[in-house]
Amino acid sequence: MDRRQFIKATALTGTSATLASCGNPEYHLIRFIPEEALTPGIAVLKPSVCPLCSAGCGLSVRVIEGEAEVIRKNQLGVTKMGLAKKLEGDPAHPVNQGRLCARGQAAIQVTYHPDRLGHPLKRTGARFTGQFQELTWDEALSELISKLDSLAMANDQKSLAFLTRPQRGLRSDLVAEFASRFGAPEPIAFEFFSDDVLRRANALSFGKEQLPTFDFAESRYVIAFGADFLGTWNSPVSQSIGYGQMRQGRPGVRGKFIQVESRMSQTGANADEWVPMKPGLDGVLALGLAHVIMKAGLRRPEAAGGAGTLIEGWAGGLAGYSPEEVEKQTGVAASRSERLAKEFADQRPAVALIGGAPLAQTNGLFSALAVNALNALVGSIETPGGIFFTPQGRVAQTRSIDKVADSNIQLLLIDGANPVFATPPAWKVRETLMKIPFIVSFGNFLDETSTLADLVLPDHSFLESWVDSRPESGAKTAVASVAGPVMRPLHDTRAMPDVLLEVGRKLKKPLSPALPWQTFEEMIRSSEKSPAVIDRRYSGAARTVNFIAPQFDGDAGEYPFHFLPYPSAAPQRICPGCRNYRIRSRARCGAAGWRSIRRRPQDCRLVREILWRSHRARVLCGFPRLCRRGLRPM
Amino acid sequence: MSHRWGMAVDLDRCTGCEACVTACRAENNVPTVGPEQAARGRAINWIRVERYYEGEFPDVRVKFRPVLCQQCDAAPCEPVCPTYASHHTEEGLNAQVYNRCIGTRYCANACPYNVRFFDFANPVWDKPLHLQLNPDVSVREVGVMEKCTFCVQRINEGKTRAKAEGREVRDGEIKPACAQACPTTAIVFGDLNDPESEVSRLSHSPRGSKLLEDLGTKPKITYLR
Repeated sequence: MDRRQFIKATALTGTSATLASCGNPEYHLIRFIPEEALTPGIAVLKPSVCPLCSAGCGLSVRVIEGEAEVIRKNQLGVTKMGLAKKLEGDPAHPVNQGRLCARGQAAIQVTYHPDRLGHPLKRTGARFTGQFQELTWDEALSELISKLDSLAMANDQKSLAFLTRPQRGLRSDLVAEFASRFGAPEPIAFEFFSDDVLRRANALSFGKEQLPTFDFAESRYVIAFGADFLGTWNSPVSQSIGYGQMRQGRPGVRGKFIQVESRMSQTGANADEWVPMKPGLDGVLALGLAHVIMKAGLRRPEAAGGAGTLIEGWAGGLAGYSPEEVEKQTGVAASRSERLAKEFADQRPAVALIGGAPLAQTNGLFSALAVNALNALVGSIETPGGIFFTPQGRVAQTRSIDKVADSNIQLLLIDGANPVFATPPAWKVRETLMKIPFIVSFGNFLDETSTLADLVLPDHSFLESWVDSRPESGAKTAVASVAGPVMRPLHDTRAMPDVLLEVGRKLKKPLSPALPWQTFEEMIRSSEKSPAVIDRRYSGAARTVNFIAPQFDGDAGEYPFHFLPYPSAAPQRICPGCRNYRIRSRARCGAAGWRSIRRRPQDCRLVREILWRSHRARVLCGFPRLCRRGLRPM
Repeated sequence: MSHRWGMAVDLDRCTGCEACVTACRAENNVPTVGPEQAARGRAINWIRVERYYEGEFPDVRVKFRPVLCQQCDAAPCEPVCPTYASHHTEEGLNAQVYNRCIGTRYCANACPYNVRFFDFANPVWDKPLHLQLNPDVSVREVGVMEKCTFCVQRINEGKTRAKAEGREVRDGEIKPACAQACPTTAIVFGDLNDPESEVSRLSHSPRGSKLLEDLGTKPKITYLR
């Protein structure tokens, strides 16, 4: 008899004896037999995939044995298990190469969050009031199955809908497969700053319906139109790695970086030149640059190939986009745009990119096509230092969230999306969801969207389940990552793909012939041979586009300021300390750091005092609240 | 040959993304103190990213600078400590012995970089967040000073591993959490006694400077413009 068997044999009697010997047994949790053998104090690195954005960075999770309170078979108890302690980048992963962003580092708290749901929940009160009652998995699943069965009985399979996040991988394949086998339309992928516009633009310009990958490491000149590529957009870690190389990675060469946008982003803060312009006119400036390049004879219009012919007036040198005209429209000085254009054409390789807010404008497609044409003009497509397209495998088809409002949905399954929080009230997503008779959420938390749900079936966290990802961009080679669970589950949760497979088996008309796997793990193992890389050529009707002015949708009153991340966003105020230092204009108080204030300390005794006291804390006088804090002895 | 750990921070590469700040918190069990305490200036950040604005709108330039303990060779925090809690190790680290610390806070007053933090309360992690705590780093209780250690637990682990394999520590083998996370490789850590190491090379760069160099604290962190 080895140690483990001995413990098993004596577990029952042993536990009760211990409990009897130390006080009131009610205060003692049951001690479960450990499910895995680990050496205490020795860290094990296990692979995983970061699910927080669609970049799909590879993780290397540090796991150390610890004691945790867990739920097993509806029973709370204590067990020894491997616990994830820190998320680190996987050095061998082609996207993030051992690095990880702030968001990825914090992702570990998804698993250990105190507000995480531990049981299936059923709504008891009115929607949005957050009144729920716990129920068992069997009850919860039979409720979902009966709803699906009644849809099938009524021959109304079309009114089932899935709302997911735009992730690429076997998980989304499974959701799409479930939907199509059941007879429902393809899942709805919700993404706030939708990159679909850029995908469509790339399809029209280059025949690739996907997001681009940038080779910043080789670039000498980068112009970004609104793309927060060092912050959150596209594949931020891989782009940051390239950015570092571009700046100081090559001896004697330092790449220059220009950011064109209307609000200074974190990326814009790093630019050598920050070019503020009127929102929604990025395409006009891009074509203005192209005009200068063609007029000065630096490149011929034919150099842009198919991307150029999409733009009206391209072959004629874009007569309507002279620097003066561009200045009138965008507010960027003619001399400046002329200089930028010449630098852009002179420095090779140079690359332009667009993303984020400009694409969310009503004329986003025009802007994206204009930037694509500018890139093609200087020959930065699929060349070192330019734009690349990651080879793609099969992609599950999705549709846009606008479809929720149009269709007659009876049953909605939500996986990880929170559109009620993320969309402006003018989109009326909450009102639309309120009309749907039955909503099932697979969320881990009672967020704004989950509180509308009738049934919440909490998913495992990504550290507790099989994860996979096929990133759309971020590497020049095709990437597919698959990883098993890093640790055992803490709560009474179930992996969402496993739940879908089980539901599919138990329907009156089972889906198991099409989805034969018992668990998601089986499905992953059976698809070990990754799908062949498919070259998804897009052939859309070629039609030239012309400038369209951006339009504002909705009423300005519906977009209140909730958060003032920068002092410049605060309204004009009088300093509460001295009552005479008027924070004059937005521009002055926002842009002025402590250096600028120091130059005119006569403005305010308070400012002087703050500067004196806060030499160590360097508190700005932009914010009245910080002023008062600055006066308090530190 | 003994080690002399140092760091180089390339400000031209730094984008101010704060991945280092988050990584440090996760690695070193740095507590969060809540909004009230933070408003009283009691927030604890072993590493922070400072922002500097230059110029007036629209010609604004922003500069980011990650600031952590500079591990000074002539550290003002050390001679003021009455209990030798703040002391210099053989490898040049400004170490803090939590058990010796009696919370006089002299060191924090002496430090010109504002990188020493006092625990005004016992740290709290709501269950089950406490499961995330790194067992290699002790959790500091009320009444002691805490500061950046250059991830001394990782240094020790790396040295032990090298010794077990019967070799010297390789350059780039030991990385503190901040340097490991940094997406742009702005933060480079290594042995200043090794003339071949990346950090030695960067420390002698003509772009390099030290923070508040004129104070004569001889910091071991070089900032590259």
